[in-house]
Amino acid sequence: MAKTGTALGCEPVIGSLTPSKKREYRVTNRLQEGKRPLYAVAFNFIDDRYYSVFATVGGNRVTVYQCLEGGVIAILQSYVDEDKDESFYTLSWACNIDGMPFLVAGGINGIIRVIDTGSEKLHRSFVGHGDSINEVRTQTLKPSLVISASKDESVRLWNVRTGICILIFAGAGGHRNEVLSVDFHPSDIYRVASCGMDNTVKIWSMKEFWTYVEKSFTWTEDPSKFPTKYVQFPVFIASVHSNYVDCNRWLGDFILSKSVDNEIVLWEPKTKEQTPGEGAVDILQKYPVPECDIWFIKFSCDFHYNAAAIGNREGKIYVWELQSSPPVLMARLSHMQCRSPIRQTAMSFDGSTILGCCEDGTIWRWDANVAP
Amino acid sequence: MASRSTTTKSDPSKDPQMVEVQGSHNPRDIFAVIDTLKRQVAADRCTSIKKRMEENRQKLIGITNHVCNLSKVRGNNVVADKNIDLLTKRQTDALGMFNGFDVNNGERDNSSFQEEVHASSSVLLGTSFGSKSAVCTIKLPEVKTLPPYTSWIFLDRNQRMTEDQSVVGRRRIYYDQNGGEALICSDSEEEIAEEEEEKREFGDSEDYILRMTIQEVGLSNAVLDSLAECLSRKPSDIKARYEILLKGEKDLQCSKERDAEDDPKLDDSFLDKDLDAALDSFDNLFCRRCLVFDCRLHGCSQDLVFPAEKQTPWSSSDEEKVPCGSNCYQLALKQPSIATASSPVHDSFQEKPIDSSVSAGARISPRKKTNGSSVGKGQKSNQSESASSNGRNMSESSDSEIKPREDSPSVHHSSTPPKRKLVGKCEVRKRNSKRVAELVLKSMRKRQKKTVASDFDSVADGCLRPRDMKLRSNSRKENEDASSSSQQKVNSPITRKSRRMESPVQDSQNVLLAEARGPSEDNKNATRTISKDILREEEFVEESTYRHELAGDKSWKAIEKSLFAKGVEIFGRNSCLIARNLLNGMKTCAEVFQYMSFTENKPSYRSADGANSLVEGHSKDAEPRTRSRFLRRRGRVRRLKYTWKSTGYHSIRKRISERKDQPCRQFNPCSCQSACGKQCTCLLNGTCCEKYCGCPKSCKNRFRGCHCAKSQCRSRQCPCFAADRECDPDVCRNCWVGCGDGTLGVPSQRGDNYECRNMKLLLKQQQRVLLGRSDVSGWGAFLKNSVGKHEYLGEYTGELISHREADKRGKIYDRENSSFLFNLNDQFVLDAYRKGDKLKFANHSPDPNCYAKVIMVAGDHRVGIFAKERINSGEELFYDYRYEPDRAPAWARKPEATGSKREESVPSGGRAKKLA
Repeated sequence: MAKTGTALGCEPVIGSLTPSKKREYRVTNRLQEGKRPLYAVAFNFIDDRYYSVFATVGGNRVTVYQCLEGGVIAILQSYVDEDKDESFYTLSWACNIDGMPFLVAGGINGIIRVIDTGSEKLHRSFVGHGDSINEVRTQTLKPSLVISASKDESVRLWNVRTGICILIFAGAGGHRNEVLSVDFHPSDIYRVASCGMDNTVKIWSMKEFWTYVEKSFTWTEDPSKFPTKYVQFPVFIASVHSNYVDCNRWLGDFILSKSVDNEIVLWEPKTKEQTPGEGAVDILQKYPVPECDIWFIKFSCDFHYNAAAIGNREGKIYVWELQSSPPVLMARLSHMQCRSPIRQTAMSFDGSTILGCCEDGTIWRWDANVAP
Repeated sequence: MASRSTTTKSDPSKDPQMVEVQGSHNPRDIFAVIDTLKRQVAADRCTSIKKRMEENRQKLIGITNHVCNLSKVRGNNVVADKNIDLLTKRQTDALGMFNGFDVNNGERDNSSFQEEVHASSSVLLGTSFGSKSAVCTIKLPEVKTLPPYTSWIFLDRNQRMTEDQSVVGRRRIYYDQNGGEALICSDSEEEIAEEEEEKREFGDSEDYILRMTIQEVGLSNAVLDSLAECLSRKPSDIKARYEILLKGEKDLQCSKERDAEDDPKLDDSFLDKDLDAALDSFDNLFCRRCLVFDCRLHGCSQDLVFPAEKQTPWSSSDEEKVPCGSNCYQLALKQPSIATASSPVHDSFQEKPIDSSVSAGARISPRKKTNGSSVGKGQKSNQSESASSNGRNMSESSDSEIKPREDSPSVHHSSTPPKRKLVGKCEVRKRNSKRVAELVLKSMRKRQKKTVASDFDSVADGCLRPRDMKLRSNSRKENEDASSSSQQKVNSPITRKSRRMESPVQDSQNVLLAEARGPSEDNKNATRTISKDILREEEFVEESTYRHELAGDKSWKAIEKSLFAKGVEIFGRNSCLIARNLLNGMKTCAEVFQYMSFTENKPSYRSADGANSLVEGHSKDAEPRTRSRFLRRRGRVRRLKYTWKSTGYHSIRKRISERKDQPCRQFNPCSCQSACGKQCTCLLNGTCCEKYCGCPKSCKNRFRGCHCAKSQCRSRQCPCFAADRECDPDVCRNCWVGCGDGTLGVPSQRGDNYECRNMKLLLKQQQRVLLGRSDVSGWGAFLKNSVGKHEYLGEYTGELISHREADKRGKIYDRENSSFLFNLNDQFVLDAYRKGDKLKFANHSPDPNCYAKVIMVAGDHRVGIFAKERINSGEELFYDYRYEPDRAPAWARKPEATGSKREESVPSGGRAKKLA
């Protein structure tokens, strides 16, 4: 297991909390969706027609909106799970082979719902996870592949088109508590990083199992007959944090991850080819986020990973310039009435719009001031 | 680290104190130096991070642009079937609506900083759009959820827990309902402290600072102290590290020099080891109980147990007469006779075996050279040198330009030597004879030495004589045919000359005779001059061979020697089998034979009767072999401390099997070499000796198995059954397993087709169990086919964990209200939480239809689930978990929710089982 060294000469660069004022945002809209907490919000980056379309989940509802000019938010579609006990925790945009936009959501029931937003119908429901689903992500290079992280300590790879559970990342080397977050590597299609309540970040490779992924596209039989494989051993295990790790994202070959320590950490996994599972962690940068010490707060990036937005316990949003060194705080967004924890944010394609969804069921829209 | 603040500072080179520091060792100056260095390191770090970030950014730009293009392509592709895409329709609808709406409420945007307006406008937005564009909610039909479970892996046999799976000493955070945090997995402070005491490695930059500082201000206690302070370490550590660094530098230099000298050192690490070292991984990783590598049940680094009773060396009578291959010692014996055919010197049989073996050794040398890599250098150079020098002379003397290394292929290519002899073309023979010429040279020298040592009469040779005679006469005839070849002519003079000079024992008459048999005189003259050359040459060669000889068996690597010793242990003195099975590709049969006679002639070996002494030496080793790498956990024998009876034991719920008042005891094979006495670990531990123990079969502590002739070993009349053991075909008289359909031959039958029914776990004769939604709660196990009473259904498998580990895990599981722990014996608990069998899902019932039983199967305790009554197909399986009454779970208790993050999540009770 790779441990972090804070030894001399390995110190990370820590960003300063003084906003650079490079870009200023202001609130342009506030929407009360319901009384139940909203856990996720996401723009559609899969299809350029829908760059302004976003969706939220909360309670048993999945809602699709559009950002219009001038801070206007239009509701497009609304879905409600008939099971009132369902509480969706996560959503992700995906698409069918023919380009039809899919919305994938999961929550406490452990069932992944694949909604065909093109026909406004439920496309499929994936039953298989043994407990609630904490995150769903889409492979941008092959957007009919989605991956889910669950409380049942497993990560599963699904093909939304054929409804097949292709791989299960669990077992001897798997997570030892709930998996809270998972993300596809942006360019290495085989690579996945997951993290969770066992305080570790694990990097998995499905290179050896890629034939099964390919097979899943042409599978015509009953999905339950598919030879689902277990990937039991990750290629890398990192102990970067000493508490729950509730969000991780690839930034190129680096990984951004956060725990409940009021900061996002950027680090480089240094894997050794010969000995899988071993390696070193080099912590490069830290992005402080004050009052961010509860778990299940997730950050989001714009399309080009220039910036990341993260909410905190007090309803403030911190926007960090990700790729500069030392990191620059672009803006700190706060509003008198926004005091509820922001569970997740969404940044639009170019980062000009930031959405935050709160535990009190509100959606806040922030727009960047257009340069005069 | 203090240097964090310095990361922002830069330009350390301008520090004025740098210069002054040289002479004085004032602590302040030292600190200044260190500080400068630190700042420099920090600055370097910053630049390096910056560089890497930039590299990463460049890479990422390409990637995101690619993804962006993908999304654009996606957007363009589907324009055709627009009418189907409702999302696009809604989008345009909304846009249209907005434009209309926007006209009416133009002011809204301008007043955006007032929250009241915001709230109202947005609510208005939502509702108005919703109603106007008919956004009705679409229902997602309900799907039945699965009962909760944690991902688990199927196990068909128990596994021992690997170290990294331990929860002992690890911090585990548990969020209770109120959002408070509780640490439940590290209840003693020492455990954590222990972990943190790990020694910190010195980083590169610390080394750098250390080196540079000492270089700058010299080595003194003051310097060390300040370094220690700055790096927050002990001065002694700093000093030690500095010494290591110095040494490292020197080593680096040395190795560079060495590299310049000789680089292509072949990586023969495997061959350089001795057998024990090479077998280290075998000893560590091969399980002698399961006969597999990497046994997950017994783990690596088991105690090596050598059985007291040795098997007699295997001997096969029918193979003895047939040569095992082209390099068989039997053929090797023949070859010198080719050489000596023209000069029949060898009247005495005593010399011959030596001759042959020596020649075999020499003959192999050119081959080694061509083969190259596998054989070490030292000995090769000796032999090949002599060989090539001989060869050079040979080629001078003859018109054929074939060099010694060239004959090796011909040797290889001829599949069987006898055939080659018969079909032998002249060319082949030429080569052979040339090679033989060298051999003779060698054998001469060898013989000389041998005669001096007068160590000739090896017992083994006796039996080979008559046979050899025959072969020799055959080959002689052939050689007479081929005697026109020039090499052949060379042979005899050399033989003669060298004999004359070096071995006075030889009968010179024979030599003359040989001369007479040689061909034309002029040839002889020519060869004589050459032979003089050879003799001169020989002096040198002689020396080297002599050295070689002194070392005796130097040409045998340690590993080869030990393999040979093992071979003798297994096959007796059968060089064919030893070479084929143990030294394949390393030594030929003839070489083995030679070595065998050599070792026997050596007084040290002789006294102990050759290789047998080796064998005995092995078995007499009272201590088990020490091992290098792997930690053994089993060393600590823990008794009673953690059993469920002890008072300090926490109330962790573990299932137990029927009729168990006392936990069984874990069996570990003893390594007693004689009948077990008071020291026997089995006796001390209170277990029977098993077939895996070292003690002889007559050991009083052994479990004798059963002799049942009736009752199929299914009643308590069977001693095995009564002792909660399965019958063992190795131990019991009438219990045996037939294999296959009989086409492979039926084993000698025992007990008149007696069919033992007490080996079901061993043979995995289990029932098909199905997993499904329980009628009671959560998951349940169901039976596919109906079975009778006491039928074996399947095994409850899982991770084998210590009681200590089980206590810790139990606490976690109890909070989750779902425990798969099963008490196995005094050392282990089975945990089926993440690894197990479907039977782990069988629910508890006070009135069950199954029962669990811990059974000893081939030295291991395993849990079998048996039918308590007749069970029909499709019935759900229940058994009594038999939790202790005082720690039985309160299934009625409301299960705790897992977090503060969401609304109160009520897990559906996990696997609620009623109280016993």
